[in-house]
Amino acid sequence: MDLLGPLFEAFSLPFMARALAVLVVLSLVAGVVGVLVNLRGLEFISDGLTHAVFPGIAIGFVWGGRDGLFAGAMIAAVLSAVVLTLLVRRAVTSDAAIAIVLTAMFSIGIIVVSRDSDYAGQLEQLLFGRLLTVTGAEVVKTIVICVIALLLVVLTLKEQLFRAFDRTGSAAAGYRPLLLDLVLNVAIALVVVAASSAVGNLLVLAVLIVPGAVARLVTVRLWVLFPVAAAFAALAAWVGLAIGFEASVGGGVDLPSGATVVLVLVAGYAVALLARLTIDRVRRGGSLGRGAPVTRERATRAWSMSAQVAHETDAAGKDAAGDGHADHGHADHGAGR
Amino acid sequence: MHENLSQQQPDQRPGQPNQLQARSNAPAVLTVDAASFAYEQKPALENVSFDIRPGEAIALIGPNGSGKSTLLKGILGLISTVAGSVRVLGEETPPAGSIGYVPQGGELDPEFPASLEQVVMMGRYRGLGWLRLPGRTDRRAVGDALDAVGLAHRAKNRFGELSGGQQQRGLLARAIASGPRLLLLDEPFNGLDQKNRDALIGTIERLKADGVAILVSTHDLELARAVCDCVLLLNGGQVAFGPLDTALTLDNVQEAFREVGVEMDEHTLVVPGHEGH
Repeated sequence: MDLLGPLFEAFSLPFMARALAVLVVLSLVAGVVGVLVNLRGLEFISDGLTHAVFPGIAIGFVWGGRDGLFAGAMIAAVLSAVVLTLLVRRAVTSDAAIAIVLTAMFSIGIIVVSRDSDYAGQLEQLLFGRLLTVTGAEVVKTIVICVIALLLVVLTLKEQLFRAFDRTGSAAAGYRPLLLDLVLNVAIALVVVAASSAVGNLLVLAVLIVPGAVARLVTVRLWVLFPVAAAFAALAAWVGLAIGFEASVGGGVDLPSGATVVLVLVAGYAVALLARLTIDRVRRGGSLGRGAPVTRERATRAWSMSAQVAHETDAAGKDAAGDGHADHGHADHGAGR
Repeated sequence: MHENLSQQQPDQRPGQPNQLQARSNAPAVLTVDAASFAYEQKPALENVSFDIRPGEAIALIGPNGSGKSTLLKGILGLISTVAGSVRVLGEETPPAGSIGYVPQGGELDPEFPASLEQVVMMGRYRGLGWLRLPGRTDRRAVGDALDAVGLAHRAKNRFGELSGGQQQRGLLARAIASGPRLLLLDEPFNGLDQKNRDALIGTIERLKADGVAILVSTHDLELARAVCDCVLLLNGGQVAFGPLDTALTLDNVQEAFREVGVEMDEHTLVVPGHEGH
């Protein structure tokens, strides 16, 4: 039996190839941006941005259909990034206040979507993605948005790293914190937009957070973090898509593709965490003392984000398997057959 | 009781500045004129006036909360100057790369995955501009800065793995690598062992000899005597400024530390000739 066959055969189908293209591009960019999110500890703001962008996605979708989704989302993304950056910078508000604003934004998005006659179906698509029905035009739009996000980060990468390491030192050197924060938050928001049509608004967080967290577990070399995160994300996307396809076609188990990819990401994180803990234990025993040991805070922070993602993924799976949503789950994997 | 500390016999050491030497006539690197600073419009330090010239070192002395860090951040433009003026090399906006800054130890993430060499390279970024990557000249400057602080052999080590004293010297190397005319050191001697203190003092003396102006906040009067020409005593405002032998009097020290007498006793103990007081 050819075990590797499913990893390649599925992608001879055009809709699977398009899904892979979207995810690989997304993974490469989200990996790079995600490392900065990890180094800056911006997981909460990233989570907030995914919620804040949602009304824009919803308005664009309701007014312009799938073609309008990107335009609405882009406008909402940039606005949300600017507002959030200013909100955090002003420091006149607590995390709770930010959370209130963001959940309010999310609610606005749901109200907007609820005006559509196919409310449940549209909402599910926006929240959990529709990876296998992505069109060629959407692939191009995703690539363009990803390239913009990548350029924003790459062109300011050394300055972003300086700020991530030493906020005061960076400002003292003459860098404007507001400008750097705006650039990074807009890049994060653009990744959210690019990923929303593929893995959905709720699962975007996994694509942003998990690869960077895995890279931190794998290496302590600064410039190696970026290729490791990008490669891990791309690999997880490939394997997740193949598993989803094989389970759906070969095993008769209908797995939502976006959620499957996210679960593969989280599983990869769990493996990396276990490996890191084991290596740390062995090294402590051998007194080698190299590498960055996993502290309780670091592991807890990354694991809690993974748990949140896994919870949302579980919700996605349940929704797809539920009475009202089962058809969409089938449609996802059935498209293009 | 209010005797002049400078009347005590100073503990002369190799490299110790001549405290009676007149200040140079060179143009000031930094001029602070009746400046007041505030956080979010809340006054933090008021009416400070002093200047510093090439090759001089000034000790900022005062209890916790007296405004030492506030002054350094005000000079850097990180907090608002609400009155008076701060000029670096004659400009209200400091020329890029003219100021090197070494923050207090312990403020940085020890798990950040950067090597010492990469941290020091950050000092070169401002001069490089946004789009250029470090080249051979920058790598040489980083190597020279690491040599200057005696840490060239630790260049590849992860920054967080270094001891507190080595991290402090590493941050000094980062500041040196930027080629500053003015160096601001915020409590650089806190928590350092004797070896790292000696190394830091040696580096400061070499920088002074190269014409770098240095402003260093410290609680330690002995260290102020060892490396500084002038002293600026603070306690929410300016208590005194001038050469050590005229400004570092027991009256002035008591005035600066008036709310923390115990700390003042602690500091008096480290002044040569005052052990046991």
